[in-house]
Amino acid sequence: MTSLITLRKSVALSFVALYLLIGVPLWYKLTTIYRASLPIEYIQDLYNNKFKEIHLTIPVFVKSDTYRFPDIHDAVQIQVNHLLRSKRQYVDWSLEIFPYNETIIDQATARGDDYHIVDLVLDEFVGYNLPYDSKTTIVYFDDTSVASNDLPFFIAQTLVEHTFELEWNHWSLKPDQNEPEQLANSDIAVNYNPNIHLSMSLLNGDGSPVAWEIDNTLKNIFTPFREMISPLVNFTVDAQIAYYNDLNLYQLNNVSNPTWHDLSHVIDLSELSTTNYFVEQNAINLVIVFPGKETNLDGLQFVNTNEENQWGSFIVPQWGVLIVNKSPLEDNALVTENYLNPIMLKFVKDLLRLLGVLDTKDKELSSPYIVIDSVKRIRIIDNLNKAVETLWSLIKLTHQFQQMAIPQEVLEDITNALDMRLELIDLLNNPHVGSNMDWNKALLMSNEIVKSCEKAFFHGEMLQQNFFPQEHKLAVYLPLLGPLSVVIFSGVKALFNEKKSESEEDITSKDEKKGLEEDIAEELKETKELGAIDDKDSISTPASTD
Amino acid sequence: MKFSKLLLLLSTGVSKIHASGSLDVDVDAYSYVTSLMAEDATTADVASDAICTTAIDEYTKSDSIEDDSTIEQIMTREGLKMNFDADDRGQIITLDSVRYPYDENMVVRPLPSNHLLTSFVFDMTSESFGPRRNPQESDQYTHYTVFPKAMKPLLERTSTRQLQLRFTRGFWDAESWGPLPYDGVKSGGSGVELWATIEATSKDEAYHKWKSLANYLSGHFCASINFIDSAKTSFPVYSFKGDTGDSAIPLFDRENKDSNLYILHAALANEPICTENLTPLIKLLPTRGKSGISTYLDGHKVFDSVWHSLSIDIDTKCDLKSELCHYEMEAMVDMVIHVPNVLERFENPIPKPVGGDKLRCDLTKPYDAYECFPLPEDTAISFSLSQLFNKTITGCNKFIERPSTICVETTTEWDISLKIVDDDSLMGDESNCFELEDTKRYDVILDSHNSKSVVSTGDVPVFVSRALTGYGQDHGGLRTVLNNPNDTPVTITFFESFPWFMRIFLSSLTVESSNGDITVNKLMESMYYSPAVDRKRPTHLEFTMEIPAHTTFSFSYQFDKTLLQFAEYPPDANHGFEIESAVVTVLSPKPYQLRTSTLLLLLSTPDFSMPYNVIIISSTILGLIFGVVFNLLVKRVVTLEEADKVLVERSIKYRLLMLKQRVLSKLGLSH
Repeated sequence: MTSLITLRKSVALSFVALYLLIGVPLWYKLTTIYRASLPIEYIQDLYNNKFKEIHLTIPVFVKSDTYRFPDIHDAVQIQVNHLLRSKRQYVDWSLEIFPYNETIIDQATARGDDYHIVDLVLDEFVGYNLPYDSKTTIVYFDDTSVASNDLPFFIAQTLVEHTFELEWNHWSLKPDQNEPEQLANSDIAVNYNPNIHLSMSLLNGDGSPVAWEIDNTLKNIFTPFREMISPLVNFTVDAQIAYYNDLNLYQLNNVSNPTWHDLSHVIDLSELSTTNYFVEQNAINLVIVFPGKETNLDGLQFVNTNEENQWGSFIVPQWGVLIVNKSPLEDNALVTENYLNPIMLKFVKDLLRLLGVLDTKDKELSSPYIVIDSVKRIRIIDNLNKAVETLWSLIKLTHQFQQMAIPQEVLEDITNALDMRLELIDLLNNPHVGSNMDWNKALLMSNEIVKSCEKAFFHGEMLQQNFFPQEHKLAVYLPLLGPLSVVIFSGVKALFNEKKSESEEDITSKDEKKGLEEDIAEELKETKELGAIDDKDSISTPASTD
Repeated sequence: MKFSKLLLLLSTGVSKIHASGSLDVDVDAYSYVTSLMAEDATTADVASDAICTTAIDEYTKSDSIEDDSTIEQIMTREGLKMNFDADDRGQIITLDSVRYPYDENMVVRPLPSNHLLTSFVFDMTSESFGPRRNPQESDQYTHYTVFPKAMKPLLERTSTRQLQLRFTRGFWDAESWGPLPYDGVKSGGSGVELWATIEATSKDEAYHKWKSLANYLSGHFCASINFIDSAKTSFPVYSFKGDTGDSAIPLFDRENKDSNLYILHAALANEPICTENLTPLIKLLPTRGKSGISTYLDGHKVFDSVWHSLSIDIDTKCDLKSELCHYEMEAMVDMVIHVPNVLERFENPIPKPVGGDKLRCDLTKPYDAYECFPLPEDTAISFSLSQLFNKTITGCNKFIERPSTICVETTTEWDISLKIVDDDSLMGDESNCFELEDTKRYDVILDSHNSKSVVSTGDVPVFVSRALTGYGQDHGGLRTVLNNPNDTPVTITFFESFPWFMRIFLSSLTVESSNGDITVNKLMESMYYSPAVDRKRPTHLEFTMEIPAHTTFSFSYQFDKTLLQFAEYPPDANHGFEIESAVVTVLSPKPYQLRTSTLLLLLSTPDFSMPYNVIIISSTILGLIFGVVFNLLVKRVVTLEEADKVLVERSIKYRLLMLKQRVLSKLGLSH
């Protein structure tokens, strides 16, 4: 009897074991969503200690034609380091001062490249100049400054506070600050993208024929600008004439003393925004609008004009520039180059703000090469920051939605981005690398990193699977799993209860039990005779009655 | 280094860049600089000052630095003074005329039984451009005047050299109305039809570009063109070669030997066509529906018609000598309306029964207040286009080379006049063609005492009808009847594309004819057949055949219907599957194209709750089997006697007796 119970027990337990050890894991494995294992800790570490491993170095060559200063670069280096240490840095950066090395510079020039050079010029006063057409800092010094050993300090100060002013201002933190301020007023600038489309439109409020000399204006003014800014942004440009569209400006004539609030309420840019170039993600618009003659014969009254210009210019944040002309055009009008040139210049200046290169209102671009070079570096760091932020958001997202699939491609993109990031950081940290081309390369790499991270973040399958509710899985498997579980567990429970009741029986003394059984058998006999129990077979065995 | 002058202007500007949206007008750098430029002597100093102001630092209070070489450089920069001459700046000149390559005209043609065909044609040409130039090059600018800006980037990105898009709905009654407008080459099958010539190095690349093209057009025209996939795309061999022939289409990438042109074709049968497809088309026009004949294009009217067709054709034309290319685009809107119906709706926007006095009863038959046998429609008819379109034409387009024209093609039994709405005057012309030369409002009045008299546009070369045969859900047949009623034999190519779930058996191709002497071999000159690949490629069939004069014959083949996978059924699976129309291209005696009607194929449709039912039933059975096996293995096996004993022990009476015994034994009352 006992061996039979043990056998049954072991059979039941093996069912349970099979159920729990093989069935459940197998079911879980087969129905679970694929989630690639992302380097979560590494990304978290990157997010918590941004730029920890970055030590950005910019090589600068000091050149002196009049005097020979054998140790000037070391002296300047000490001063620069001292100056940089005076403020807390957001990103660890420094200048690497080298003596002027003709071979390096000549090699660079030969391949169309250049480095930062400090040109020391003996003069009657101490001063500096940042030319607009090269990456050279000219420092003027006099003999007194050499004698008093002030020159290294002057050079260091010029370099840090003027040549690398943008870096210095942007990456130096105030005591209560943790993050640097945005490079440009981010409410105006479009998101940075290496490829941007520019759409220029001449809008005419009615159908009178118009022509414009935009091609000449673009080639004379805009092409040089495109060449200059090409390391940072590449443009595709189109110019169109559109009729019967004055952006609803005629409505403003009914308003007395309109303000820019009214303007922003009235203008309808939808038609221009929908016809964007579809290769680039971002587009900036220049719209030159002339009112229609039928609706505004006297012109738009709210446009303040002066003797120079018959138009008003407005920046539409993150969209572009709107040039509103006061008077309608005559039939067959030709808008000449001379009319368009100032508009284009104004646009170029506003474009720098829309691109986030110029950040303050009244600042001018005096030394564009140096500024663009600095903006490149800031963009690189911003891109690295953006990439890490994107990855961290991805990690948070996957953490928050446990049911979200993480395809293999996402992991590949992330690995790719992280590898490129390390490569880029090696490049940034190398004190000997820092020519114009190197910065361009670094910027391209950082753009690639951002792209790779965004590709990982916006992978279609991740969000698609997220909306497959977990209840569906249950609904599909419950008809099978429900009966199986009920049968197995209730069976096991019954088995163990049975054993328990049997052992209870064992406790009662056998004699007592025997006596009792005899009594009961008799009583049952009586009751049977009375007809209460009519089933013959239900009486105890004849052996017990004996 | 041209930009130095720009930088000078930027750096010397005294203007402030104002805050977003502010209404201040700023003084531009330009004026300041140009005034400097005018005074030769002082310029150098002032300009250098301007450069250096930003360069002077607080720790050196020295004077401005003269950098003569730089200043000299700026001043001698060629073209600078020329471009910024202070004398004639800021001018807007009036030219003799400014005209752009845009053309529009409208043709109105009465059809039998009081129908009216109206055709709108809009032609536009793009500015010339050099192909093979990277748009990111710093001197690359794209200019648009009348050609839509939305199209060129699309064509460039997808290397599309020719693009044809058709939105057609309705029934063209060829037997009564004659040939289709433009010999049928501008109208598609019912629904949306798209075909394009794409330059690519391989078929796969061509398909990818095609897919991108379809997706963009889908977004632009608010149509489901994005549903075009490889299972709907075919590469026509004989049809759709175009009237120009292959040689006229330029290859941009001549250096690459693999580069070739691919024609791709797809159709979405019976796709609904509506205002949301017309509005994007109007937005492509430079007039934007505000002037000229495009003012008539109103969705309510265009789609309130018996038959309508919107079409867009874009072609690339290149000049080999100058290596410059341009795009030509032709947009067309055609529609057939039933004039009495439209007029009635114009008069009574809310339909109500015709009054008793207005009923036209057949007087030869008995009639009274309760009984009336109606007469056929009145042949005396007079209406204006403004009644049909609910508006007048607003003005003309002043920027186009030739004035917009409206032509009415009628017989002499019609009186046509142009009405100038503003001064209420009427004009007539023998040619019945009117040019809109003024910015006035125009209307056209058509008047006839015999509207049955219409211009004949020739014979239809061939009539085609196609139908599904057979019954049941596993197989069916397809029967096409062709009829050449003319005196000359007709050569045609017949293009058909079937979805993969319709498995055609080409072996079952049979030809039947009225006189019985036409066989397959005799009829078909050549045949192209590409069998379907499940879910990847459609069946593609093309025949070239010659139909003898005065012959009617039919050819038919059998097909099997496939079961689709659960997820492949559309939401309205019981509606059936639309099969695109066959395309018949007549090669001789004259080029003509027509399409059969679309077909509705019924496939066996499952009960969509089936999968869950299957899961439940199979799970239940599995559960039952498992329960039995488990119980057999785990439950105790006893003899019948043992079982009886247990049963007794479990009865309530037994337990009560046990209790009684126990109580008695405790009280010592037991014996």
